[in-house]
Amino acid sequence: MKVLTADVAIIGAGSAGLSAAYQAASAGADVLVIDENKRPGGQLFKQIHKFFGSREHQAGTRGYIIGEQLLQKVQESGARVMLDSLVYGLLPDKSMGVISDGVNYSVKAKKIIIAAGAKENYMAFPGSTLPGVMGAGAAQTMINVNRVLPGKRVLMVGSGNVGLIVSYQLMQAGADVVGIVEGAPKIGGYGVHAGKIRRAGVPIYVGHTIKRVFGKEEVEGVEIAALDEHWNMIPGTEQTFDVDTVCLAVGLNPMTELVWMVGCQFDFIPQFGGHVPLHDANMETTVEGVYVAGDVTGVEEASSAMEEGNMAGVAAAEALGYLTTEEAAQKKAQIRQRLNTLRSGVFGEGRRKNKEKQIADMEIYRQQNGKESGSHE
Amino acid sequence: MSKDADIIVIGGGIIGSSVTWHLSKLGKKVLQIEREDLTRGAAGATDGVVGYHTKKPGAQMELAVQSIAMFEHLGEELGEDIEYGLRCGGMQPVEDQLQWDILSEIVEEQRKSGVDIRMISIEEAREIEPMLAPDLKGALYSPTGGKVNPIKLTMAFAKAAKRNGAEILTETEVTDLIMDGKTVKGVKTTKGDFYADAVVNACGAWAANIGKMAGLDIPIQPRKGQLIVTEPTGPFMDVTLQCARYNVVKFRPEAVTDQEALKMGNSLSIEQTENGGLIIGGTREFVGFDRENTLEAIETILRRAVRFFPALKDVCFIRCFAGLRPYTPDGLPLIGKVNGLEGFYMAAGHEGDGIALSPITGKLLAEQIVYGKESYSLKDFDPNRFALMKE
Repeated sequence: MKVLTADVAIIGAGSAGLSAAYQAASAGADVLVIDENKRPGGQLFKQIHKFFGSREHQAGTRGYIIGEQLLQKVQESGARVMLDSLVYGLLPDKSMGVISDGVNYSVKAKKIIIAAGAKENYMAFPGSTLPGVMGAGAAQTMINVNRVLPGKRVLMVGSGNVGLIVSYQLMQAGADVVGIVEGAPKIGGYGVHAGKIRRAGVPIYVGHTIKRVFGKEEVEGVEIAALDEHWNMIPGTEQTFDVDTVCLAVGLNPMTELVWMVGCQFDFIPQFGGHVPLHDANMETTVEGVYVAGDVTGVEEASSAMEEGNMAGVAAAEALGYLTTEEAAQKKAQIRQRLNTLRSGVFGEGRRKNKEKQIADMEIYRQQNGKESGSHE
Repeated sequence: MSKDADIIVIGGGIIGSSVTWHLSKLGKKVLQIEREDLTRGAAGATDGVVGYHTKKPGAQMELAVQSIAMFEHLGEELGEDIEYGLRCGGMQPVEDQLQWDILSEIVEEQRKSGVDIRMISIEEAREIEPMLAPDLKGALYSPTGGKVNPIKLTMAFAKAAKRNGAEILTETEVTDLIMDGKTVKGVKTTKGDFYADAVVNACGAWAANIGKMAGLDIPIQPRKGQLIVTEPTGPFMDVTLQCARYNVVKFRPEAVTDQEALKMGNSLSIEQTENGGLIIGGTREFVGFDRENTLEAIETILRRAVRFFPALKDVCFIRCFAGLRPYTPDGLPLIGKVNGLEGFYMAAGHEGDGIALSPITGKLLAEQIVYGKESYSLKDFDPNRFALMKE
């Protein structure tokens, strides 16, 4: 078995992983980033829309351009990026099993940053296994990365930002979106995204759900129904649509398999997608030397994923002695300030409270287990 | 002190559960105590081979014949589906002339127990298992062996025992034995003291720890076996299969020249479960009570699997785990009363044969405890063949 070594090994070359790689490598650490996809960038290269937020978060810049800029920075930093390579195991001794180009590697690193991202939730209903029912993320990959239209007439389930944005991008790619179905009584995503959809004439059916999908070999149509206040379908409210594709944008959940495997402790925070690893302000988990960043710590969005990646990269470099305490403290203070900005306002406040709980629970865990708390400037 | 049960069985594995069921069948009030939960030890981390051909010629083989006969109607009697594959057969493909010679020799001895085990050509072997690699030399074949789901069998023993009035305490750790001179009166646990006329040590790889509490030096050591589970596939194979090295490592370790293979005790064992997933083993490693998987073992096991079944290179493995087998120096289990102590019995040390030998072990030990004599002699498995009493 071939052995690869690094100061810092990073799992995932998405928003968080690349940011961590840039920070650690530019501080002087030997960094190895591993990603199972053929291209780096994670979700960034699928984001053809303009990002929101403040100027320092490149509001107004399209996601894939942010991705290109980040990739450029990582390449200049000297970090190695191993693509099309699967991390299939992370053992308690922190050695990593990696399959790359048919070769089995054992990767041994002093620090590990898990930035594995999130995966789409699924929803079961009659017909949900028919070809043509897919995650909204899958549809987005098809149109924006592979340039293939998944279908001609689409019904979207879920009106969060993913459902709204992917609906709009499906229309840009040439599909008809016949409607968006939302179980809750109001639209979940940002008004500006919903406004674009409505101006394009796409109806949003709030308080509705999917009843069934029909078709012999593939999706031929879909039936939706209204919901009462107890989320039960109201008989007689059914409507059918002639569609060949049904996209599900019903939330995401963190890809925590490797985090569990290495033995980290977890919190359960439904708003973050379920089980999320405990971590401190440095993004270090309950397993010393193992850090997490991005959606794997709780589903948020790309900008906070990048900042968490920055934090983990700086903390790992500091722990390895590549940054002095003062240098690191200064960088971390700036990152923390930007994270707080991202986690404010109507949409961010809830996330800030959840994140505070996650970090507080980490503190409690360390106290109960007699471990020294991490540095908190 | 009033007693809580006639007999206390320590250990919630397949052996302890079988002993508990058989004692309850004979009308005894049994209390079974398990530190974690049923099947958390070796019974929950193994394949389910119920074969003759992996048994040591002689006493162990004879015992296996008795035990496998019981499997024919075991599920029926327990009233549970134990996923028993009756006569699915067992096979060990050989890679070279040396293995062929060693296996042929062992087969000759094994056949003395009256079991149909024979050496066949690779062409014949591939008629039975078409997915086998064609460049193998031949195979040992045992058409009458079976396979079982070890977790379901353990749970079925436990459920049937409960129906007979047995009580099972899980999450309860035995911390000491209650002794009156040389008589065992009961056990101290994390949930209080329990008294009984007899105590059975069925703690598998951990049996020596219980032995210490009675002042015994039990020569059972944990031996780690690592396994892998694949995604469910369509019908892939019927037999339970080990590579010939399995029997060579087990019976003629001196013939293995590959030092790495010997250290890891690595050989292929593979079977398809009812849900379609393949269980692929395995290793035999002396590493204390460590139950972690290692990347080296996973790689070695998978390479062996693909060597024998090239089509497996396109199948994903979804999980891996390790179990601790109770190794004994002579490869035979310890079943029966310990001399010099009153009321203390052993039922442990089956290493890789615990699943196949579980029914007969429970039956015969229960008979010995209740009637003072078993219907089939346990003399070859008498714990007192080792010097158990500490000087």
